[in-house]
Amino acid sequence: MQGHQALPRKSGELVFQANWERRAFAMAVSLAEQGRFDWADFQQALIAAVDEAEGEDPLNPSRGYFESWLVALEAVLAQSDLLEG
Amino acid sequence: MSDDHHHDHGHGHAHDAPPSPHHSSDRSAEQNRVLEEKVARIEALLIEKGLFDKGALDRVIDIYENDLGPMNGARVVAKAWTDPGFKERLLQDGSAAIAELGFGGLQGEHLVVCENTPEVHNLVVCTLCSCYPWPVLGLPPAWYKDAAYRSRVVVDPRGVLADFDTDIADDVEVRVWDSSSEMRYLVLPERPAGTEHLTEDELAQLVHRDAMIGVRKVEPA
Repeated sequence: MQGHQALPRKSGELVFQANWERRAFAMAVSLAEQGRFDWADFQQALIAAVDEAEGEDPLNPSRGYFESWLVALEAVLAQSDLLEG
Repeated sequence: MSDDHHHDHGHGHAHDAPPSPHHSSDRSAEQNRVLEEKVARIEALLIEKGLFDKGALDRVIDIYENDLGPMNGARVVAKAWTDPGFKERLLQDGSAAIAELGFGGLQGEHLVVCENTPEVHNLVVCTLCSCYPWPVLGLPPAWYKDAAYRSRVVVDPRGVLADFDTDIADDVEVRVWDSSSEMRYLVLPERPAGTEHLTEDELAQLVHRDAMIGVRKVEPA
């Protein structure tokens, strides 16, 4: 599943390594572009999530970057009540 | 460089980038499956609420995978090398100048362009997360997001440059720029000697991502 869905960039690196990374990324961007939340708020949530994952030992984070991205997305969705009925 | 990553040629990180201890490639199939399901649930819920449709998300992905990337920044750099008026505008107001070439959008606001000279070498980092000028560079490489780079570049920029085999003379000042949600940076590399005969398009071919982050120089063709 991985590695075949995305073309390497000119730099030889893949932008996303799993489909869920791609979807989680696009959801945050799409909602921010629509003004459903401020991009700055998402960034603050991402900073907090990265900081939490790195904890006392930044070189051995407890989760990867896109896992933190997802944590941040869930946090802003909760803040903005977008998932509420 | 790291033995534990010999298995993942072609994805992840440059051969000489700082080591990353937590690559997505380390996820198990089971972890990925759980994450796929979780994200699919959120997506389905948001679609149900009419916040976007699948096609809109696909278009966003397509833009970030195909339209945004270092090839845009390379055009900006090549134009700055060949058009002194553009270079002046670029250094004065990066966001306005890249808009002249049609580039802009999320993470392209408040773009500051730092010019490398024989006296100054600039290097960009985001110490807190991963702020990066998307419209001109696309999404950042894995190593840019790793704590190894983010923390070390501030205390030992010359050591990081050495890791990238970038030789900066002792009498050259190294400036490190820490990106934030308020400010993002693009390095304008030095135009290599011996490229006087090249056209703007040919020059753009020489300019690569790492030179615009500042971890490498642009080499002559």
